[in-house]
Amino acid sequence: MNPLIPKNQNTLKPNPGMTLIVKVVTRLTVGLILLFGIYIVLHGHLSPGGGFAGGVIIALSFIHLTLAFGKDFALRKLSESKASLLESLGAIMFLTIATLGFLGGYFFYNFFISKGKPFNLFSAGIIPLCNIAICLKVGAGLFAIFLVLILFRLPEKKE
Amino acid sequence: MITYFLCLALFCVGLYCVLRKRNLIKIIIGLGIIDYAVNLFFVLIGYRHKGRAPILSSTQEIKNMVDPIPQALVLTAIVIGLAVTALIVAIAMRLYEKYGTFDITKIKRLKG
Repeated sequence: MNPLIPKNQNTLKPNPGMTLIVKVVTRLTVGLILLFGIYIVLHGHLSPGGGFAGGVIIALSFIHLTLAFGKDFALRKLSESKASLLESLGAIMFLTIATLGFLGGYFFYNFFISKGKPFNLFSAGIIPLCNIAICLKVGAGLFAIFLVLILFRLPEKKE
Repeated sequence: MITYFLCLALFCVGLYCVLRKRNLIKIIIGLGIIDYAVNLFFVLIGYRHKGRAPILSSTQEIKNMVDPIPQALVLTAIVIGLAVTALIVAIAMRLYEKYGTFDITKIKRLKG
């Protein structure tokens, strides 16, 4: 049992999480928060923001779900092993993009032939791909940290 | 110059919180305040009067921009601060499981 959560929440077994008001507001806002995070990531090479900030916002949308609906609901959306898998995928994707630069000669070489027009969405070569990799790593990692703080308990000591 | 001293004041608030408070959660909050005071100091060092963000733009010409290196450094420092805070919170939860309290004066039994 989690000592940091008040006791009366355990009595609401069929309906865990916070009150109805919080749930309705969460249902309205959580999609917008996720969408805003994706926007920050995809426009990372054009405007302030980027992979890290967008990843934090995406992780916050999942943490929002966890806080409002209880951990079972959020775990159905993105389970702990899946978050771990996504985090590792982000790291491997970043390394792969960096190593593919050796096709052109050196580390982090921009291997796209057409560079695109500046200030367009599809421009800047490998930087958007790197942003997406960082977003996966940061978002899944932050959510995994939060889940680990919730889920993992020491086995109860028999005294 | 006065902003640097305000930064120092924020740092001292955090230091007071760490040294004087007895609740472990309040100590963690004090550590967070110290962290952000130092970050704010770095960003203020790189600031130039009426400078704009060091980002290329198609519509306007950049004449006067702030120093981007402290900002990159602070971004890294924020990530490390997040990891350190998560570690401290995990240790505090273990301590709560073991002792049943967050009061550091009551956590004094020296056993594994």
